[in-house]
Amino acid sequence: MIVQVVLIMDAENIDPRILALMEKNPEITTAEIASSLALDEVLIRQRIEVLADTREKLLIVDEEIDALTALKVALEAEGYNVIVALDGFEGIEKARTENPDIILLDIMMPGMDGFEVCKRLKSDPSSEHIPVIMLTAKGETADKVEGLELGADDYVTKPFNLKELKARIKTVLRRRNF
Amino acid sequence: MPDKKNRWNLIIFAVIVLLLVGSIFFLWMRANDEVRSIVEDQYQNQQLILTQYVSSSLEELLNERVLLLEVMARNEQGVPEDLFISDFENIYKAAEIYHVLEFIDANGTVVSGYPSENVPLGYNLHENDNEWAFENVRKTGEVYISEPAMTQEGIFGSFVWVPVFEEGEFKGTIFGIVSDEDIIRQFETTSNSSNSVYLLNSRGEIIYDQSGMYEKGTVYLDYIKGYEVERLDIVRSQMNGLEGNGKYPDTVSNGRSQDILVSYSPVTWYNKNWSLGLSSPGNTVDKIIVSVYVKLFTVAGLSVLFILFLSSQVYFILLNWNRSLEKEVKKKTHELQRSNDSLISANLKLRELDRLKTEFLSMVSHELKTPLTAMKTSSEFLLEGKCNQDTRTQILALINRNVDRQARMVDDLLDISRIESNRMKFEMESVDLREVLDHSIENVHKLSEDKGIGIEVDMPEEVSGVYADKDKLVQVFVNLLNNSLKFTQEGGKITVSAQEKAKDVEVCVMDDGIGIDPEYLEHIFDKFYQIDSTSTRKVGGCGLGLAITRGIVEGMGGSIRAVSEPGNGSTFIFTLGKVSDNRENNDFH
Repeated sequence: MIVQVVLIMDAENIDPRILALMEKNPEITTAEIASSLALDEVLIRQRIEVLADTREKLLIVDEEIDALTALKVALEAEGYNVIVALDGFEGIEKARTENPDIILLDIMMPGMDGFEVCKRLKSDPSSEHIPVIMLTAKGETADKVEGLELGADDYVTKPFNLKELKARIKTVLRRRNF
Repeated sequence: MPDKKNRWNLIIFAVIVLLLVGSIFFLWMRANDEVRSIVEDQYQNQQLILTQYVSSSLEELLNERVLLLEVMARNEQGVPEDLFISDFENIYKAAEIYHVLEFIDANGTVVSGYPSENVPLGYNLHENDNEWAFENVRKTGEVYISEPAMTQEGIFGSFVWVPVFEEGEFKGTIFGIVSDEDIIRQFETTSNSSNSVYLLNSRGEIIYDQSGMYEKGTVYLDYIKGYEVERLDIVRSQMNGLEGNGKYPDTVSNGRSQDILVSYSPVTWYNKNWSLGLSSPGNTVDKIIVSVYVKLFTVAGLSVLFILFLSSQVYFILLNWNRSLEKEVKKKTHELQRSNDSLISANLKLRELDRLKTEFLSMVSHELKTPLTAMKTSSEFLLEGKCNQDTRTQILALINRNVDRQARMVDDLLDISRIESNRMKFEMESVDLREVLDHSIENVHKLSEDKGIGIEVDMPEEVSGVYADKDKLVQVFVNLLNNSLKFTQEGGKITVSAQEKAKDVEVCVMDDGIGIDPEYLEHIFDKFYQIDSTSTRKVGGCGLGLAITRGIVEGMGGSIRAVSEPGNGSTFIFTLGKVSDNRENNDFH
């Protein structure tokens, strides 16, 4: 898990360089890219796979690793490209660099809570178009209203039904595609 | 600008004061004049009554004394042989007003008299051309009193002629000289010192003047100047034999003028019509008024002083009353303020407690729902049957982990609930501290190893047994160690030490982690208390661990505290009863 996080954190630096090399020489192999960037070939291959991925990209922002992992595994099995963030700051950063198709945002988080993250995402032109589904353990009406007023597209109350969550993700994505 | 305004205020104030004082003075002067005229009237009436009394007394006296001579003259036996000498002596002594009494025979010769030293025996009236009054008496047969004149003996007096008849034949006259000094002396005591008595005859001649200003025998009118109309009127009334009051202005030595008050009353003595005057200076009235005023002002002043005294007493009483009231009010206000303050602080505490409770509830809800969410997502995913063996194992481990977490959470909640309601049971027994500690460290071994934090034990050999509930003591150590592990960076160090004190064993769990701000130190054992939900969340847990730890330590009869310095780690110190001391003391719950 830690390795994965490190990889993700480096991605924004590595990806543009890989793309630049591939643009110069479309025939370039992964081994050549790895050597020219002084990086591990396995890592380069992974990044190329990620870059070549055409699946819909889904960002989950949640501090609870177990909840995050379960959701990530379930949604990856559903055919989504799932990236994760463990707190609000990371979530905002990932939303900008990875440009996900949808964000699942937990409300109760350390440092910056989900509402604040949502507000910042929606006030930033580079991320305002990304639909947000709030995940809340509270389930109180006031929270939902606050989330929706801040620009969230939908909310799901924890513990949620996996099928329902998938259906909502699909609905929101379809709405976005119009 | 304010100065100018003040000056104007002052001027207006002064003008008002002057007006008030002026009007009061004016009213007082008017009142004074009225009082003066009333007092003057009264005084003059009194003076008139006195004058009437004096004049009537004088009249009576003179008539009586002359009557004595008449009685003597009408003696049936005629002229006695001793030529009235013995009678003269008696009357002279009794009457006290005669300078001399003489008998003049029909020829006009003095033949006898008393007192003999004043009698010019053998003096013939005809020879001395003094026979007019004598002849008049002989003709009329009536008593005659001549005008006062200076006698040859040098005495100013009135001559009384009483005819003596024997069987119709004229035998001579009894002659007496009445000295005015002698008459008036009888009445001088009746008038007070400021009064002055004078006597005028019908021609306005002065017969007697007490003041000595005017010569006897002179005409009073000669002393009166033409413009003294009032004075002239008085004298004329007197000459006409009237009685009444009058006043006239008189200049006194220093050029000021004052009224002279005069009362007059007639005195009729046989053929003489005289008028008695009593004059007194106007300042007598002023003196009376002044004496009245002095008394009045004395009384008024005393009254004012008395009133001032009483008022000041009342004022001071009121002032004291007011002061004590103010004091009371201040005290009450202070009390109110205090109770208000305590209410406010109680309210703040309640609000804080309410906030903590709400936060705690939301935390509990989150803590319970988070593992549930993970389990539900995972189990639903498993039910879909899309995953391979590796994933399945990973998912099942995740579910298992969250079940444990949920169970721990429920245990913690039950513990805190038991501690709060005093229902936690303690199985107190003699416990080997070292064994318990080893067991506890084993419990946290995995976490400490993961974070690379070493746990050192510094326990002297003599520290052996403590009196505690073994499982609960393990829980205390695990909680404290977990707490320290959470707040200590990787590669840090935790030291557990113990030492025996007088009555108990003191155990310290010391770390070199992030430490605790002194501001929060006293609250960290409070249930629901979390320094900062975010920082607590970062390291997990929901703020019950330390509250449970304190509950357990206190439940076993010990105490717990924490010392810390931000950045330099924290030390948790708790005490446990020594085995020797607490063996009998078996009733812990």
